[in-house]
Amino acid sequence: MHIAITLADITIIKEHTMHIAITLADNNGLESSISPVFGRCPFYMLIDPESKEFKIEENPAQSASGGAGVKASQWMIDNKASAVISGNLGPKAHDVLSSANIPAFKFQGGSIEETLKAYNDKELESFFEPNVDAHSGIQE
Amino acid sequence: MIITIASGKGGTGKTTIATNLAWAITHTQEAENKGTTWLIDCDVEEPNAALFIHPAFEKEKNVERLLPVINQDQCTGSGVCVDVCEYNALARAGGKTLFFKELCHACGSCVLNCPEGAIDETPEMIGLLQQGSRDSLRFAQGILEIGFSSPTPVIRDLKKWIIPQKIQSGSTYILDASPGTACPVVESFRGADFALLVTEPTPFGLHDLSLVAELIFKEFKISSGIVINKSGRGDEIIEQFASEKKIPILMRVPLSRDIAEAYARGTLLVEAFPQYKDQFIALHKKIGEMIRERQPKQ
Repeated sequence: MHIAITLADITIIKEHTMHIAITLADNNGLESSISPVFGRCPFYMLIDPESKEFKIEENPAQSASGGAGVKASQWMIDNKASAVISGNLGPKAHDVLSSANIPAFKFQGGSIEETLKAYNDKELESFFEPNVDAHSGIQE
Repeated sequence: MIITIASGKGGTGKTTIATNLAWAITHTQEAENKGTTWLIDCDVEEPNAALFIHPAFEKEKNVERLLPVINQDQCTGSGVCVDVCEYNALARAGGKTLFFKELCHACGSCVLNCPEGAIDETPEMIGLLQQGSRDSLRFAQGILEIGFSSPTPVIRDLKKWIIPQKIQSGSTYILDASPGTACPVVESFRGADFALLVTEPTPFGLHDLSLVAELIFKEFKISSGIVINKSGRGDEIIEQFASEKKIPILMRVPLSRDIAEAYARGTLLVEAFPQYKDQFIALHKKIGEMIRERQPKQ
């Protein structure tokens, strides 16, 4: 006897997976470097911290003329990120993410592997408030 | 005629040339019964032409923009406003639509596109316009409200307030633009007949002159001429550029301590050194000729 799994079921399964969004400076799979910038970093990784299943996508807000933080945060919401890990977080991005109840955590250096371990061990510091001014990503 | 004065680089002497040109031609224009001379300070982020003109202001007008107000009760969370906002001023988060005023350009797209009609608009003051005169020179300026970062709507309203649809023949409007080549400068050039480019003979002056010359060449296709301010050493780099681009050098103001001192006292060059008056009148005449040559023959 075989069990039929429909496409709809798969979608449901996927939606229930935890997806941590990580800001990336390059696109190198699990070897990618984590970017200190939130709104204007070139790539985002969405990764399940347990299974390490991941996908990497280009950040549509990277070269926005303004409001990159807002647009990037909207991307996090639309892509159902359950948490965000970034080096910095500006005031508007912080507003949007906290309105959507998406917790943001501060990247403390190291590889993706190390960062995920720190996240799983609850060692990452949470952004209770923005740590940089608006437009900080432009200078990076 | 409308003459817009720009430079690309800041501090090259746009305001010096604009104020002196305006003041020098005012009385000639009037004597020849040729209409009015207006000086319009379009550098609304830091207008300074009034420091040299000392006008008496007679009229004021507020500049407002319309900001969206989201009626959260009517909002169904379609997210349409978020998608149509070119400036990322809106976000949909936690069942609410968030609005970031600092990012908004008041374009009205969200209001027009909201499927529920859940967005109203409310006016917000973003600047002040003033007009007045000194003798027969008419003067106007815009002042951007402190804390606002988009001067363009203030410049647009200022021009609309002062420059009529049909300009009386013989009247001259001199627009002192801001530095750079971005939207405020583009707005200051819109509708202009002539681009007067003020530069200084330095690599920085040349670099930014080339940017503003490119803007004129690509977007406006109007005649232009160069004024070299602080002239005397290094003019060759500007001369070479001018001859390559076929933009005539119309006037030079030398680098001189006397001129700098008069400037620092808030005195016009043509008042401190009357010999310059004829040079500015000649500059105006030459600009008039260049505009006429450019116009298609009837």
